Amino acid sequence: METESAIRTSRQDELYQEAAASHGSALERLVRGYEADPDRCRDLSQEIHLALWQSLARFDRRCSLRTWVYRVAHNVAASHVIRDHRRNSRTLVGLETVEVQAVVEDREQMLDQRQAIERLLQLIQQLKPLDRQVILSRLEDMDAASIAEITGISPGNVATKIHRIKNILARRFYEGGIHDERSLQ
Amino acid sequence: MTNEACNDMAKIWKNQPTARVNISLEQLRRKAGKLQSRVLWRNLREYAAGALVIGTFGYMAWTIPPLLPRLGCALLIAGTFYILATLHKRGASAVVPAEMAFQTCIDFHRSELERQRDLLHSAWSWYLLPLVPGMTVFLVGLLVFTLQQPNAKAHASVIIAAFAFIAIFCAMVFLGIDRLNRWAARKLQDEIERLDVLTKES
Repeated sequence: METESAIRTSRQDELYQEAAASHGSALERLVRGYEADPDRCRDLSQEIHLALWQSLARFDRRCSLRTWVYRVAHNVAASHVIRDHRRNSRTLVGLETVEVQAVVEDREQMLDQRQAIERLLQLIQQLKPLDRQVILSRLEDMDAASIAEITGISPGNVATKIHRIKNILARRFYEGGIHDERSLQ
Repeated sequence: MTNEACNDMAKIWKNQPTARVNISLEQLRRKAGKLQSRVLWRNLREYAAGALVIGTFGYMAWTIPPLLPRLGCALLIAGTFYILATLHKRGASAVVPAEMAFQTCIDFHRSELERQRDLLHSAWSWYLLPLVPGMTVFLVGLLVFTLQQPNAKAHASVIIAAFAFIAIFCAMVFLGIDRLNRWAARKLQDEIERLDVLTKES
């Protein structure tokens, strides 16, 4: 009995190490999409790693390790956003109403790495959890089917959302200002 | 422009500098242990607060002579027991990490919103209502007892007005809390309905 438990623990540890090695950097990027404050970012990251390690005790291969990792990470982060939203009464918006504060002068300026990433994060952190999950997965180069498996939205719906995201973010990201996006729906 | 912009964004996103978090398995085990003791301490704090309320009203029920306030104290103790039992039950139904992987984001998000909505919606019945009978009987009993005192007849209207003020104040606080909770629950319900539309479209 004890040996069985020891085997299970060692399997859980191995799976966690594999997941952290393959998806560790992506998880850190994901965390930044959910939390702006550096200290809370670190806390959220640790919370995700802990939940991931604990969850892997019951990993049964009914889905891929990648899907498992992203589901846990997004779900922990979404809970964090909902908690934060209730505490601070921050308004989260849908893709149609997302906006950025500053107006961009030109594209070269935007391609300045740090400025660009801050701008992108500013856009993402305003979004409701589900829209955020789709865009963060898309930015990690996932296809519609993988995003659908993680989020639970149908691949067709994911494709529509991605199309909308591309249009809206491209405009918001490069042109700045506020546009009426109703025509895109 | 759109695809180019998206590729640029993905490139920028993936090339961003990130501080890699290296957590050893030993640290994870320690954290899991700490989390368990934090939950244990939180539960103990709730039980200690409950014990304080029960102790105070138990002492009053034992020492004060009139019957009605004593009955009020007993009802308040019973109400506190009920609240503690509900808190214990809710604590036991907390989400375990593996459930986060078994559920898709939309299902998990929905269940979290439902959990919070139900908590807010039912706060009246498990957090406030159990204390109402005890408080009512306690206040009425105290009023009757005060009015029975030798000099009370001369100031009866002032005494009744003071008790009415206290009763109305308590009722307003309870109703205010309930209104706020219901308003927040309605907002969560709107969010759930929006998710339902998305699920139906899927």
